[in-house]
Amino acid sequence: MPSLSYREKTLYASLAAEIVVYGSYFFLHRQNSINKVAGMIVAIIVLQIVLQLIIALVTRNRVTDERDRLIELRGYRAGYLTVCGLMVLGLAMLWFHAEAGNINLENHRVGLHFLSAFFSMLVIADITKTATQIVSYRRAL
Amino acid sequence: MAGIRNRIRELRAQREMTQQDLADRVGVTRQTVIAMEQDKYSPSLETAFKVALALGVTLEQCFQYEPRVGRG
Repeated sequence: MPSLSYREKTLYASLAAEIVVYGSYFFLHRQNSINKVAGMIVAIIVLQIVLQLIIALVTRNRVTDERDRLIELRGYRAGYLTVCGLMVLGLAMLWFHAEAGNINLENHRVGLHFLSAFFSMLVIADITKTATQIVSYRRAL
Repeated sequence: MAGIRNRIRELRAQREMTQQDLADRVGVTRQTVIAMEQDKYSPSLETAFKVALALGVTLEQCFQYEPRVGRG
């Protein structure tokens, strides 16, 4: 990819890793389990480390500057707002279903569904953060 | 975009300096130099001083502020 800074390359790698790992978790697996959640976390960490290592090895100029930090903050802001919005939405849906009597807390899978829902929120926020940073780089800020 | 304009490209060309040369002297990435030259990014005061110093001019010769018209 021409004219990409070190930080931009790492962001594209992060986004690719997030889409591959989270995508396979959320779209290929129908049954949730603690093992699959743990597997997803391990997979994303390992993949990120491998990709970052490769990019660091092939990139000679690894300078980061104030613009990189500004874009990073912008990404975190977008991610924070996303997770806050999803939390409010999730709590509102929970309240709505509780009021309607649709939630059976006796069911042992309810906990896993909650875990999966909270992970989905974090995943969406993470992808939003990375995508916002990439867009900021492409728009020069 | 912001009302801060600059003459980085012009001054750099006069000195036959590449974007990478200027970036190395200032301590920023080449992409940041490109963004500054296109007036898409207004640097911090410290970086603006470093750019002016690297180009051998004063801050005012390198950066100009043009107040926006028609906005409160």
